[in-house]
Formats: sequence, structure tokens, C-alpha cells
Amino acid sequence: MKRNLRIMVIDDENIVGKRLKPALEKEGDIVETFTDARNALERFSEQQFDIVVSDIRMDDIDGLEVLEQVLARSEKTKVIIITGYATVEVAQEALVKGAFDFIAKPFKPNDLRTIIEKAAKELGR
Amino acid sequence: MNITSGEAPIQTDDPQFSHHGLGEEYVEDIALKSRPIISIRFRLFLAFLVIFAFSMIVALWSIYALSEIQVKIRFLEAAGNYLTEIQQARRFEKNFLLYGTNLEDSLEHLRTAESILQKNKDTIEKILGRNSIQGMSLQLNNYHKVLEKVGEAGDTEERNRYEPELREYGGQLVSDATNFVVKEREAVEDALSLSRRVPFYFLGILMVLIIVITSFLVKNILSTLNRFLEYTNRIGEGDFSPILPKRKYRDEFSQLGLAFNHMIRELDKRHKILIESHKLRAVGTLVAGVAHELNNPLNNTMLTAGLLEEDFERLPDEEKLDMVQDIIKETERSKVIVRNLLDFARASDYKIIAMDLENLLEGSIRLVHNRVKLAKIELQMKLTPDLPPVHGDEQALQQVFINLILNAVDALPPRGKITVTDSKSSQAGFIEIKVSDNGPGIPEHILPRIFDPFFTTKVKEKGTGLGLSVSQGFVRRLGGNITVESRVGGGTTFTVLLPTTEVPSSVSAAPSP
Repeated sequence: MKRNLRIMVIDDENIVGKRLKPALEKEGDIVETFTDARNALERFSEQQFDIVVSDIRMDDIDGLEVLEQVLARSEKTKVIIITGYATVEVAQEALVKGAFDFIAKPFKPNDLRTIIEKAAKELGR
Repeated sequence: MNITSGEAPIQTDDPQFSHHGLGEEYVEDIALKSRPIISIRFRLFLAFLVIFAFSMIVALWSIYALSEIQVKIRFLEAAGNYLTEIQQARRFEKNFLLYGTNLEDSLEHLRTAESILQKNKDTIEKILGRNSIQGMSLQLNNYHKVLEKVGEAGDTEERNRYEPELREYGGQLVSDATNFVVKEREAVEDALSLSRRVPFYFLGILMVLIIVITSFLVKNILSTLNRFLEYTNRIGEGDFSPILPKRKYRDEFSQLGLAFNHMIRELDKRHKILIESHKLRAVGTLVAGVAHELNNPLNNTMLTAGLLEEDFERLPDEEKLDMVQDIIKETERSKVIVRNLLDFARASDYKIIAMDLENLLEGSIRLVHNRVKLAKIELQMKLTPDLPPVHGDEQALQQVFINLILNAVDALPPRGKITVTDSKSSQAGFIEIKVSDNGPGIPEHILPRIFDPFFTTKVKEKGTGLGLSVSQGFVRRLGGNITVESRVGGGTTFTVLLPTTEVPSSVSAAPSP
């Protein structure tokens, strides 16, 4: 099954990208990973992505800012937020701002795949 | 870790959870209690007693003087009578010589005079002296004898022969008696004028006495009151060292001193409890931060392990090895975070050791790194290489720097900047560490109060107002100091002055956290 979804993963921990890329590509999607949110957003203005997975807490630009900027450029993109501290407030704020869903660290590749699958269904793929 | 800003009194039991009344013995109170008692009440009593005794002496003297005057006046009366008797005797003597009558009357008066003289012999002797009284009674005797002889004489001619003798003795008698009366009157007047003057002398001396005693008592009490004023200021500033006796005796102020010591103990106890809760709160904040920090390596481990599990059969060995190494590396990272937390929270007494400043500062910054990052603040370290080691308790010193950095974090807006630098101080044997921020600065009017215990600019939930006071207390106990420079709008710099370790042999670098 080839969905050919374009997925962007942003996390300042480079292992996250390093491991998620092969894990998600197994589904036939195209995955690009970034450790710097600024680079990721630059890339996003060149190339539309169907799904953006972003850590919420990063040095320069945080996940909520990424969420806002991505949605401002592409309304239909599904943004999945990775939270370190799975508090209700942060999750709610992300959802209110239009995030598709959130996932709390630590998680297994499969946990994220499940959410991506849900997003894919909504995208009609 | 026990940080207090005052020397705790030596106590055998745990001061934190036992209740002490005033009746119990404390080491710091023994000196106060062992002084001999000279109470203020006693001193006041003594002062009034002196005044009373002085007044009493004067009163007694007055009574004595008055009774003396009374005696003198009575005696003066007697002397007057004597003079009158002599004068009468002489008048009758003249009558006898002229007309041959009244001899018996004259002798009668002489006898009366003699009896008056005899009756007052002692007193006269005292006033005029033994010779005079003897002279007087001799003359009286002679006169008497001559007068009797005159009485026995047959004719006028014979009487007239005795006349010069009679006149001589008689004249002498009268002048003696007059002299005596005059003298006695002078004595009475002297005594009266003295008793008129004495009250003025008494008032003058009493005034001097009252001024001397009052100024002594006032000086005594005021100096002690001033001392207690200093104590209250000192205690207000958080110095909880006990009051020790400054005098060789004790009085009601010593009781006040004991009550102060009791209050200081209670304050110290509460202060310690507050510090404990403050520490727990700090640990709580750090735990939250560390738990969050821990999620990253845990997530990396989980992702890697998850993928390894999924693709175990398909992956080449090389890839598998890389994944396992990643897992080990991330687990190591978790271990360091947990150990940092344990190091910080570990309850222990001060262990004064020599330590490398660089390790100390880096360790402190590692602990607050997360909070600083969350607040989006840039933290810069500019360390001077090869500085001599400092000495102190590692955790306590770390807490001092964590405190200063977190205070700066709380004061700074996002994108604020904190700089930590260290260098040799201009004061020999000291190193200074500066924690500067480019925040809004501290207003001048609150600057002198920031080291006071319980003073805080933060909202109630965020600060106890103990951080700086506790830090200052600890650093001062090491022989150092914390100073602050701040300008509104120009940022704030805290300078921690720490003594370097003198003995190179004791230099042992702090274990790396």
C-alpha cells in the first residue's frame, strides 16, 4: 500500500528523526526530518507537507509556533504535537490552536503510526 | 543540607520538633543566669535610701540643734536671773551702806545667786570654762564674806572701810555676770542663725545628690536599653546568635535578655522549618524540570528499541549495533540526570571541601539548564582558567548559584541574557563570581532590603523571600560575602566573594556530578 504522504518530523533530539524516518517510510510515505524548527519552516514554504510531527519544546521556535505557522500556510496539513510533559493544559492549547492530535513522550514508533493513519484517513488517503 | 543564617545554639535535643518553655536550661543562658543579682528595683531602692538617710541625718541634727537652743534659752534665763540677783544684792548693799537698812535682803539675794550658780555649775563650766566658774564662785564668796563682815561692823566708819573692797568684788561680779549673759546670748544667736542656714545647705547637697544618682541610674538603664535596641535590629536582620551578658551583674534586663534568647530560639526554629520547606519547594521545581528532561532520553530509547523490535530480522548487524549503542548512550544520559537530582536533594550536613570552581559552576548551571531554556533565556559562562580552588559545601554553594541564576530567570523577560563570570578578586585570597542579567534592574529603594529574610518581590506562590538571605548567610559563614549592584533599566549584577583554599595539599576537586 503506497500512500505517498509527505511527512515532516521536527524534534531537536536528532535520534527522534533518525529513528522515525525509517519507521514511517515503511508505510510508503516520504519523510523529511529536522532538528531545527526554522529550517523546517523554510522547507515548508518550498514544499507542502501533508503531516507535520513537531516536538512542543524546542530552543528557538516551539511546537505551538510551528503549529500556527504551518496552519497559516496550509490549512489542510495535519499537525501532530509531541509533548514531553503530557499535561492537559498543553494538550488542550495545542488542540484549540488546531493541532490534529498529540502524543506524549516516551512513545513507540507504532503509537505514532496509529495517529498518522487516523490523519491519513481524514486526508482521504 | 542545613542552611541557616545564624549560629544555632548548642542543644542536645532536636530543636525542630520539641517545644521549649522558659524554664529550661540552655547553654547560652547559663552566663546570663550566673551573674549576681543587682536588680533595678534594688538599685532604685538604694538610691532613695541614700537620699532618705541623708534627709534623716539632717532632720535628726535639726531636732538636736533645736533642743540645744531650747536648753541655751533656758540657761540664758537662769543667767539673766543670776545677773538680776547680783544687781539686787548690790542695790541693797548700797542701801545698807547709805542708810544701814536691807542687809538681810542683800544677803538673801546673794544666796539665791549662789544657788543659781550652784545649780548651773556644769553648764556654765561648759560654756565659760573651769577657771571662769571657779573665779566667779570665788568672787561671789569673797563678796559674801565682805558683806557679812560689813554687817558685823559696828559703825559707819568701819563699814566704809570695807566699801572699796565691797565695790571691787561687787563690780567684778556684775561685769562677770553681764559678760556671761552677753556671751550666752551670742551663742544662742549663733545657733539660731546656723539652724536658719542649714536647710539651704541641705537643699543644695540634696540637689547634687539627686542629680548624681539620677544620671548614674539613667545612664545605666539607657545604655542597656540601647543595647537591646541593637539586638532587635540585629535579630530583624536575621542574625539569630544568642544574647550574652555584657555586665558583671544581672537585673530585670537580664530577664529580658533571657526572654530574647527564648524568642531567638523560637524564631530560629521557625526559620529552619521555613528554609526546609523552601528547600523542598526548590527540589519540587527541580523534580518537575528533571522529569521533563528525562522524557527525552527515555523517548529516544523507546523509539530505538521499538524499531529494533519491529525490524529485528531484517536489519543488518551494523545497524542493530548502532541502535543498541544509542540505547546505551541514552540510558547513560538518563542516569546522569537522575544522579544530578539525587545529588541536589541528598540530605546531608555541610561538608567543607576544596573544589574546582569550574566544576561547581558547571554543575549548578546543569541543574538550572532546563528552567533557563524553558524561559527562553540565554545563559553564558565566561570562566577564567586556572583559578585556585575555593572551599565550602558543594551542595550549599551550588544552591547559592542556582538561587542567583533562578532569581535572574524570574526577573528576565524572554530572550533575556544571564552571564556568569569568575575572576580573581582585588581582595587577595578571594575569588569573585558575578551573575549578571540585562533585566529591568532593582529599584534603589528596595535594594538595601533584598538580603533581608522574608523579603521578596515575587508573588506569594513563587518565592519565600529566603533564598538570598540563606545564600548570604551561608557565604558569610565561609568568610565570603554577596553584594549587589543594580540600576533600573540597566540590569543587575550579584557578586559572590569566596575565599580560596589556603592549603594546597587539601585540594581535591569535587566529584563530577
